[in-house]
Amino acid sequence: MRLFLFFFFFFSSLLASKSNALTMHTNNWAVLVCTSRFWFNYRHMANTLSLYRTVKRLGIPDERIILMLADDMACNSRNKYPAQVFNNENHRLNLYGDNVEVDYRGYEVTVENFLRVLTGRHENAVPRSKRLLSDEGSHILLYMTGHGGDEFLKFQDSEELQSHDLADAVKQMKEKHRFKELLIMVDTCQAATLFNQLHSPGVLAIGSSMKGENSYSHHLDSDVGVSVVDRFTFYTLAFFERLNTYSNASLSSLFNSYHPSALMSTAYYRTNLYQRPLDAVPVTNFFGSVMETIHTDSGYRGFSNKVTRRGKIKTPVDQEISQNERRRLTSTIVQDHVNDCSPKDEYGILSSVWNSLHERLEKTGDTDTLVNYGLMIMLPLVTITTWLS
Amino acid sequence: MKFQLQLLLFVFVLVLISHSSGNEELFTEELLLRPLADHGKVLAHFHFEHRAPFPNRDHQHYSLFPKSIHQLVQKFRIREMELSFTQGRWDYERWGGFDPVSSSNVKPPGVELWAVFDVPPNEVDETWRNLTHTLSGLFCASINFLDSTTAYSAPLWGFQQYYSSGLRYGALPREAVCTENLTPWLKLLPCRDKAGLASILERPSIYNGFYHSQKLRLISTGFGSEEGLQPEIVLQQTLTVVLQSGSQRTTTRAERVHSWSISSIFGRKAKQRCVLAKSSSIFIELDRALVSQLRNLDVKLDEISDDYWNNSAFELSVTPNRVIKEAQSPYNGNLAVLYEYSMDKINSSKPTDIGIMWKLPMVWACLQAPFHASRFLMGSGNERGSIAISLRSTKSDLGFSGGNAIDGSSIQVVVFQVVPWYVKVYFHTLQVIVDGESKMVDDVIEKMHVSPSEDKVSPGVMEMILRFPCDTNSVVLTMEFDKGFLHIDEYPPDANQGFDIPSAVITFPDAQASLFYLEDNLSNSPMLRKFQEKNILLSYTEVLLVPLATPDFSMPYNVITITCTVFALYFGSLLNVLRRRVGEEERFLKNKASKRTRFFPLLLHKLSAKLRGRPQEQPEASSQSSSMGPKLVLKVILVAGVAIGWHFYFR
Repeated sequence: MRLFLFFFFFFSSLLASKSNALTMHTNNWAVLVCTSRFWFNYRHMANTLSLYRTVKRLGIPDERIILMLADDMACNSRNKYPAQVFNNENHRLNLYGDNVEVDYRGYEVTVENFLRVLTGRHENAVPRSKRLLSDEGSHILLYMTGHGGDEFLKFQDSEELQSHDLADAVKQMKEKHRFKELLIMVDTCQAATLFNQLHSPGVLAIGSSMKGENSYSHHLDSDVGVSVVDRFTFYTLAFFERLNTYSNASLSSLFNSYHPSALMSTAYYRTNLYQRPLDAVPVTNFFGSVMETIHTDSGYRGFSNKVTRRGKIKTPVDQEISQNERRRLTSTIVQDHVNDCSPKDEYGILSSVWNSLHERLEKTGDTDTLVNYGLMIMLPLVTITTWLS
Repeated sequence: MKFQLQLLLFVFVLVLISHSSGNEELFTEELLLRPLADHGKVLAHFHFEHRAPFPNRDHQHYSLFPKSIHQLVQKFRIREMELSFTQGRWDYERWGGFDPVSSSNVKPPGVELWAVFDVPPNEVDETWRNLTHTLSGLFCASINFLDSTTAYSAPLWGFQQYYSSGLRYGALPREAVCTENLTPWLKLLPCRDKAGLASILERPSIYNGFYHSQKLRLISTGFGSEEGLQPEIVLQQTLTVVLQSGSQRTTTRAERVHSWSISSIFGRKAKQRCVLAKSSSIFIELDRALVSQLRNLDVKLDEISDDYWNNSAFELSVTPNRVIKEAQSPYNGNLAVLYEYSMDKINSSKPTDIGIMWKLPMVWACLQAPFHASRFLMGSGNERGSIAISLRSTKSDLGFSGGNAIDGSSIQVVVFQVVPWYVKVYFHTLQVIVDGESKMVDDVIEKMHVSPSEDKVSPGVMEMILRFPCDTNSVVLTMEFDKGFLHIDEYPPDANQGFDIPSAVITFPDAQASLFYLEDNLSNSPMLRKFQEKNILLSYTEVLLVPLATPDFSMPYNVITITCTVFALYFGSLLNVLRRRVGEEERFLKNKASKRTRFFPLLLHKLSAKLRGRPQEQPEASSQSSSMGPKLVLKVILVAGVAIGWHFYFR
């Protein structure tokens, strides 16, 4: 019986490791974060709301959008146009229309809450509308804007999200099967540095500027009195305004639409963790909610064969495994992921050697004995050297 | 086909029967417009009311009543709840403080939530916590900040006199209120903002106003404690806004005449009624003070003639369907007048713009509560201060004739105040000053309940009943407090802005702000029925902004730079003394002198040294330095002596 169980888990772990490629794209989620407080950061809120409008227009419903706004600009006493937010001087489009659903606002926008949303570790009382209830078939768009620097992003002018934190949260998400593909889009100064620590496969990252570069605002609205949009977001929106739910524009065409001369910074794309070719991925895979339709000859009889088998196998994996075995299972998945991405990694051989060393270290269960042995070896070495000198 | 038709007919009849059984859902919408005495401002008060039978085995599903609210009631066993979102401060002096709208619908800025639960006392806090989180999800606000014990309180009798246990009260004065809070509130209406009175709510014009307060009140009588009442849930949604009337016309005598209509204040016209509403009506109210002013101008309001809406003082743009008058008034016999427009009778194809056109400039004073309450801070600095609550007589002799005052010559006032723990109020320093004279606390305070704050656990709550003679001019209560320190993680990102203390609630139990109408047939107007109910006069004080010591790196920076300077000066001079070789300096000077005189030999010497590949040798060793020993030792001792002297001197 035990043997059978073992084989079962082995088999299921194998399957789980391959599941990334096999799972179907089930739904789309968007997490849109504006991390800046204070009136003069109006443009960051306008950026986020423009993206909110775009993804909503392209089909992601409100219950699958987590919108985090660090301050209230629309009803701010400094706003000359109450209950309205504009991202352009011409004031043609009110981004703060009648149907905005803000999930986290004001003081709630903290690094802690942001990481809680990503990893799904909430208090029991937190309502569903404030949770990212994605599954392993979800495509998630994570958009962040604010003030950043070398490997960090400021939240509310009082705390920072570091690139390590972000990478760790993404890794946790991967292990918890919370996404299939993740697109991280960041519009801050030195945005590219925020992606340095990412290692999880299936992650695609776009940053507005390279290390040492600033991201600039696009233009100033003299009626509102502040800059209303950032350059990177402005050109992103310019690209999306031409599209609708049915367009087939690919991610590579989005990437090619950024001109360094227009942005006044170099947009950075990190694609080495992403498996699919970019020119074959439509932008609506992340910025919209366009599902693949399956044509069936006969009437609906549940899922196709392959899918049901997977479903059957996955439920016991989630429910029946004891804690210990689950840990082993996830560690094997991690190994697979690391092996997957290491040849393509930027850091090349060095990091892969380091990773393998790290894994071996993790595999040997008792680190204390290892350290003790090491000390024991050190002792004769020290005596010999002292005797020699 | 015939069978199907019969079935359909049968179902239809069934539905009709089930609806006519009396236990039905009811939705009404009403709007009250009232000109305010303050420079042509207009008060608009929306009142939407849902009534539905309490969910039981027979009634699980509703057709009109919002599902989210009935789930809320069932899950948390809410007996009564009130949630309000407010922006701006109601001006009691200029907009009135003695009418049902200002006493029961005016709320303090930010979010205020109170709820009474029908759960065992040990579960109340847990239920409250869950309720705040749920409401924050429903209404897109940070109501979940009320879940920590430092943020809410359990008043015994100071806030709602008729509840003793299971009541929780919390307020967030800083909470921003905007479109995202109004939208879910509107989505609870069966017609949303697509039809009916809610369709005139254009967001920019509402948020451009001087004050707006949206309120949601929930009353359920199904948890068995109330006998004899039909178990039902009542959901009252009110929106109170103060807007500037659109057009201004200046008369020949340079007086301003403010005329307005629905489209001029809201930017939209009321087109059609919500067909799901049982009744839908708009009222224009002329309050008692305005009526008395019109009487003085000999405007006949009492006689129902054909053109009573077009008199010498004003003209109503649309003929009202009904005129409702107040039955009795304590205010010099002047009775308020209501003009009612039923939305059924307004032609939806030709929307008419309900409004009022003034022919004469009107100046009148609004009705005020007997005492105007305000609260302010005293003292300066980041260490201590004091809170003062002042009650100033408005010299109006209103509202006591029908009250239940025990003694005709005295008035009862209930004060309820919650103070966060970091403002540590010393209740023993309570001072009462009546008409400028300090009084004994026991002379004025009838009853007092105080629960002092506990650091990082609970806020300080103060409930007291004052009683003083009616002819008192002013009463001031002062309390001293110390400012506490927060942990660095507990400061908000904009701590330098200060911390808000929620409004205090001042209640006048003797005064009634109810309005009674002559008309008996008010069954289809829940708003007017609510005005007739027992409306205890209530007012909120200002929110206080307390500056606290904020985490600031400039202070440690200053300390570091000063200590570093002191250290550098001390050790620099010490090292200078220790390491300096006076003889060497002289020798160096000599060398320089010799360099000038014998340039060529030196050059030769250098060249030869370069050629030999060795550094230039200095023949003279530090022979002289040893001879300077005693002097150096003396200097070291001197410096050490100075240091020791300094040290002891400053001890």
